Amino acid sequence: MELSFIIIDDTELDHFIARKMIGNVNAAYTVKSFMDAGLALQHIISHKHDSAIKVVLVFLDIHMPMMNGFEFVEAFEKLEQAIQDKYYIVALTSSIEVSDINRIASYSSFRTRITKPITADGLKSLLNTVAAEFGISLT
Amino acid sequence: MAEKIKILYLDDEMDNLTGFKATLRLDYQVYTAVNVPTALEHLVKHPDIRVIFCDQRMPGKTGVEFFEELRGTHPLPMRILLTGYTDIDSVIDSINRGNIFRFVKKPWIEAELVSAIEEANKFYQANSMLAIKNDELQRAYSELDKFAYSVSHDIRGPLSGILGAINVARDMHDIAEMREMLFLMEKSLKKLDTYILSMHDYYSLQRGELHIGEVDFQKMVEEFKDIYRTAASTAQINFKVNINQREPFRSDTVPLKLVLNNLLSNAFKYQNKNTDAKVVELNIEVNKGAAVITVSDTGIGILGNHLGEIFNLFYRASSQEAGSGFGLYNVKSALLKLNGQIEVNSVLNKGTTFKVIIPSK
Repeated sequence: MELSFIIIDDTELDHFIARKMIGNVNAAYTVKSFMDAGLALQHIISHKHDSAIKVVLVFLDIHMPMMNGFEFVEAFEKLEQAIQDKYYIVALTSSIEVSDINRIASYSSFRTRITKPITADGLKSLLNTVAAEFGISLT
Repeated sequence: MAEKIKILYLDDEMDNLTGFKATLRLDYQVYTAVNVPTALEHLVKHPDIRVIFCDQRMPGKTGVEFFEELRGTHPLPMRILLTGYTDIDSVIDSINRGNIFRFVKKPWIEAELVSAIEEANKFYQANSMLAIKNDELQRAYSELDKFAYSVSHDIRGPLSGILGAINVARDMHDIAEMREMLFLMEKSLKKLDTYILSMHDYYSLQRGELHIGEVDFQKMVEEFKDIYRTAASTAQINFKVNINQREPFRSDTVPLKLVLNNLLSNAFKYQNKNTDAKVVELNIEVNKGAAVITVSDTGIGILGNHLGEIFNLFYRASSQEAGSGFGLYNVKSALLKLNGQIEVNSVLNKGTTFKVIIPSK
C-alpha cells in the first residue's frame, strides 16, 4: 500500500468510527491508533517506513488532555523536514469554535480540517485530494 | 454591634483634632493626623478607612491638594473638606480637583459631622458593593466563556461520536462488531451524562446556600461503601476505610459529600492498571473542631508540572480515563464554601494523596 493512517484521539468511539470508515474504503489499509498525542509523536519520530508508503494520513483531534492537537503540531513542525514530508495532517474535531478553526488554519502543517463526525463522502474526497497530490492510486 | 466605621481627620491644629476625636470617638473609630505623612501612614495601615475629613488651610499643602493626590493613591474613602472660609473659587476647586463628597463648615456642629459621616458611609458601602458585584460579574463572564468553549467539545464531542456511529452502523452487518460499537457509544453517552451532572453540581455550588447540620461520618461513609463496592470488586481494588470521629461535627452535607465523592471516584478511576495490590484508602479524623480527611490511592499519579493546574476548570491531567475536567474544580469550590483547605501529594506511577481539612461550623 502507498498510503497508511494514524488516528490520534482521546475518545475510543471516534477511533472506532474512523477505523471503520477507512476500512470501508479499503480493508487493507494499515491504521494505527493513539489515545495520547505524545505517544503518537514518539512513534512518528522513531518509525521506519515501509518504502512503499508515500504518505501517512494523520487524523488529529484537537481537544485532548496532556498534549492537545496544537501542541502536537508545534512539536511536529520541529521535526526533520524529511519526516514531516511523509505525513499529511488533518484536523478532525468536533469543535465549532471560531477561535479553534482560525488557529487550525494558522498552522501550515494542518493540511485541512474535517468536522466530526467524518462521513464516507468526506473521507472519499479527502482521499482523492491526497491521492492526486502524492500520485497514489486508490484502487 | 458591628465594627465601628473608621474615619480619619487631618488638620494642622491640634485643638481641632482633639475636639473632633472627643466628639466622635464613641460612635466611630477615629484616627487623627497633624500632618500629611501621618495621615498617609494611617491610610496605609488601615486600608478600610471609609471617610476622610481634611482641613483646607494647612501649611505646605491645602486640603484640596491633599484630596487631589488621594484620588489617585487611595480612591476608596469618601472625602470631606472642613473649611472656615468659603470663597467660590475654593469651592469650585475642591469639587473639580478634590472631587469631594461634602463640605462641612468650621466651626462644625456635631449633628452636621454625624450626618456627613453617615451619608458618606452609605456611598462608600454602595461603591464597595458595586466593586464586589463587578468582580463577581467578571468571574462569571470568564467562566461563561469557558463553558461556551467546552460545550463545543464536551457536549458536541460525544454527540458527534454517536452520529458518526449511526452513520457507520448503516453498513455494518456483524453483530459482534455492532455490540462493540454499542459499548463504546454507551461509554460516550455516560461521559456526556457525567459532564451534565457535574455541570449541575457546579451550578448549585456557585448559587446554593449553606445548610448546616450535624454530620455523622460513619453513616455518610456507609453510603460511599455501597456506591464503590462494585467498582472495588470488579477492578480488584482494596477499599480501606478508617473513621475516628471523637466529637460532633457540623457542616453542610451536600458539598461535603461532593468533595468525598469526587476524590474517591478519582482514586478508583485513575488506578494504575499494572499495580497488583490496588488500594484506595479513606481516613477521616474529627478532632478539635475540624475534620481531616485523606484519600490515597495506588494510582497513576500526577506529573509535578500538572499539580498546580488540576484544580482549574476543564483541566485534565490524564488521557487514561474519561474525565470531564470538572471534578477537582468542584471540589475546590465546595471547600471554599466550607472554609476548607486541600493539599495534594503525588508520585507518578505510585499514587496520589489528597488531604482535606474542614472546620466544624
